[in-house]
Amino acid sequence: MILLMTTLWKSCSALGLLAMLGSLALAQAIPHFVEETASSGLNSRYDGDYVVGGGVAAFDCSGNGLPDLLLSGGDNKAKFYRNLSSIGGPIRFQEETSGLELTQVSGAYPIDIDGDGITDLILLRAGETVLMRGLGNCKFVRANETWGFQGSKNWSTAFSATWEHGQNWPTLAVGTYYKRGSSFPWGSCTDNLLYRPAAGGQGFAAPIPLKPSYCALSMLFSDWNRSGTPSLRISNDRQYYWGGEEQLWQVSPGQPPHLYTEAQGWKRLQIWGMGIASYDLMGSGYPTYFLSSMGDNKLQTLQSGPSEPTYSDIAFKHGVTAHRPYTGGDVHISTAWHAQFEDLNNDGLIDLFITKGNVGSMRDAASKDPNDLLLGQPNGSFLEVGDKAGLASFLRGRGAAVVDLNGDGLLDVVVINRMDKAQVWRNVGAGSAEYPQAMGHWLGVRLQQAGANRDAIGSWIEVQLDKRVLRRELTIGGGHASGSLGFVHFGLGSAESTKLRVQWPDGVWSGWQDLKTDQYVVISRESGIQPFKIEAAKQP
Amino acid sequence: MKPFLKAAALAATVAVVGLGLFQPALAQKKIIVGVSWSNFQEERWKTDEAAIKAALAAGGAEYVSADAQSSSEKQLNDVTNLIAKGANVLIILAQDKDAIAPAIAAAKAAKIPVIAYDRLIENPYAFYLTFNNVEVGRIMGREVLKVRPSGNYIFVRGDPKDTNAQFVYDGQREILDPSIKAGKIKIVGEQATDNWAPDVAQRNTEQMLTRVGNKVDAVMSSNDGMATGAAAALDAVGLLGKVAMSGQDGDFAALNRVALGQQTVSVWKDSRALGKAAGEIAIELAKGVAPTAIQAGGEKASIFDGGPNKVKMNSILLKPVGITQANLNLVLDAGWIKKDVLCKGVDATKVPVCK
Repeated sequence: MILLMTTLWKSCSALGLLAMLGSLALAQAIPHFVEETASSGLNSRYDGDYVVGGGVAAFDCSGNGLPDLLLSGGDNKAKFYRNLSSIGGPIRFQEETSGLELTQVSGAYPIDIDGDGITDLILLRAGETVLMRGLGNCKFVRANETWGFQGSKNWSTAFSATWEHGQNWPTLAVGTYYKRGSSFPWGSCTDNLLYRPAAGGQGFAAPIPLKPSYCALSMLFSDWNRSGTPSLRISNDRQYYWGGEEQLWQVSPGQPPHLYTEAQGWKRLQIWGMGIASYDLMGSGYPTYFLSSMGDNKLQTLQSGPSEPTYSDIAFKHGVTAHRPYTGGDVHISTAWHAQFEDLNNDGLIDLFITKGNVGSMRDAASKDPNDLLLGQPNGSFLEVGDKAGLASFLRGRGAAVVDLNGDGLLDVVVINRMDKAQVWRNVGAGSAEYPQAMGHWLGVRLQQAGANRDAIGSWIEVQLDKRVLRRELTIGGGHASGSLGFVHFGLGSAESTKLRVQWPDGVWSGWQDLKTDQYVVISRESGIQPFKIEAAKQP
Repeated sequence: MKPFLKAAALAATVAVVGLGLFQPALAQKKIIVGVSWSNFQEERWKTDEAAIKAALAAGGAEYVSADAQSSSEKQLNDVTNLIAKGANVLIILAQDKDAIAPAIAAAKAAKIPVIAYDRLIENPYAFYLTFNNVEVGRIMGREVLKVRPSGNYIFVRGDPKDTNAQFVYDGQREILDPSIKAGKIKIVGEQATDNWAPDVAQRNTEQMLTRVGNKVDAVMSSNDGMATGAAAALDAVGLLGKVAMSGQDGDFAALNRVALGQQTVSVWKDSRALGKAAGEIAIELAKGVAPTAIQAGGEKASIFDGGPNKVKMNSILLKPVGITQANLNLVLDAGWIKKDVLCKGVDATKVPVCK
């Protein structure tokens, strides 16, 4: 039965593609999403006194190529779901005991910390931050002691990681919020912590406090000026700091971290920073950053090149302020959380997915606040189409993952909701649940290198599309308490083949290589491009 | 040569201002008032707008407006557009008191007066018009003190990130402090409320009640929304209607509680008065009246320096009205609330206005 459906889908998708290729309508096509929360078996809630957080981690621990999920539960135990979806078919999960089932988890990011080729996780918690070592086949064990990791006891709410030059172990940045349980949280932002590898290169040294800290809700190590050394961008919640602002830390190997100052070109910005998304939106080779907030969201691009970290706010110009509900009739400001740049309609123009939802019952902010999908337009602007795409949930959205859950090259969406059930949507492209239909060509790329930093975090992947180059930086961090590790997705419109090259974390470029689209490939630094065939898991 | 140069300079001014000066036929330049709304879709501003328009019409001035739709970036664009449309005085309801700074700079460069309407824009160039929030607190203090001259008080305070929370509290304390010092009133609980959220206020009130074994005589709530939360907490322990309670904003639920005898006072800020004053001040400023000499709404201009950065600004702070069971007719007569909403569940034999 499943085999039949898959075959049926394939023939439909081929027809769909034929019909659409060469059509100018392709660029603006709205992808269709079908909610499959109940039928997928996903059954998780984020409950308790957690005004922020609610993250999801997407990673493949089964080795079949499909992302498995860890959902934070707040006061409930975190839940692990093995992905049992059939290729191109409905989303299917099976809850399983993985060792990750802790309470008080508010966020999670996958990362291979010890370089053994098995994905590990960091669990951000209202309580001790915990590193979980992957043992293989989706089993995990606490590793704070093994790795000398002194987990913060404060509420950790943000995470990012980088591999500093010369190190085999990553440098971890953990952002924290305010003192939980305090009757007066204002001005009580707790320290963000930087964990560098221990002397000798194994495990972690005692953390360095990143003072001043301003209630971080998202962090991202990103090479903003392509110097070869990523800096740490931190988005902070102005609700609880006094006199704080957004921050950019220079983290140079062997040096203490150093905050970029106004004298160096950093411009003061105060927002209710919730999430960071990054993409080379200008095609300039430098990342543009989207910062989610309340009311106006921010889009920041380098004002005058890489010499100084001076950013211009261009959200209004590009139509991505997304500051109030675009549907549902609530006229109050929107509250935005997880943000992620991905191409959801595979037209070669990057799109932006944003979760939205009231903090709790804030009267100045919309209570009916729909999640948002902004489709990239050929002229560089964006159109809000979450309702037309079927993604406009009015629950209190928090963390999310935009990943291909069923291996068909169309990105699906998982969203965690505060005080409510998590939701999952299958992207059926231009078709329906019964007959999904591809919208454009695509490519899924996963990098691998030997030794440390096996997933080659810090690399840049470039893909040629017509006269443009699509660029993605491989990062760990950002979003809202949510991260994915696995294939990086490129939507490629009508291109049946493309060229690709990689700048590896040490700065070395590979040559351009030709490859066919509509496939998943693993690019090994040592052995080149290998097609990766996603194996649908056995149905229970 | 010189007169010509002067004319050219004047022409440049006219290009910015838009109309008038260069035409000898008009004795005075036409006053165009640009109003930049933060989010005009919120119902309340329609009342303000009507009052502003009426005041401008009475003074022969023209009204142009823009709606930022809650976007602080759009609001910057809106102000630029209002200036381009010839506005020679601006009334700005800021979406974000900090992000609006470039717009104030642009207005200043063009020598266009700015009125910071209802919300603070902490810039010495702006003229701040709002209600007197310290007076709001004083009214709460006076009305609650009248009915509970002694006993245990708890304070449900606003969000400390909002300077108005402190003003209201200062006003309450100004009135209550003599009784506190005299030992008549005892503060048995005090809690700030994140985002002024009713659910947070409810939880905090519950905790404070529990801590003192429900021995509470008055709840000083800094607004009506939080009073709704506190009322739920009081109701749960059978105290609703037995303790005095304050609030502000004239929320319908709160006014109904006042009618029911469950809330002592809701301080009401009549936005018609605010809009009227804004229109009148705009005309005066456009005519070149010095900001320090402005009068409106029965108040004279004074210096305000209570913002987070203590910036000194010219201001007019209007007096709000405390609505109690004795003067509920004010909100009815103003058309602020309908009688069936105000009087829902009220025994009309005890509350004349509900007859």
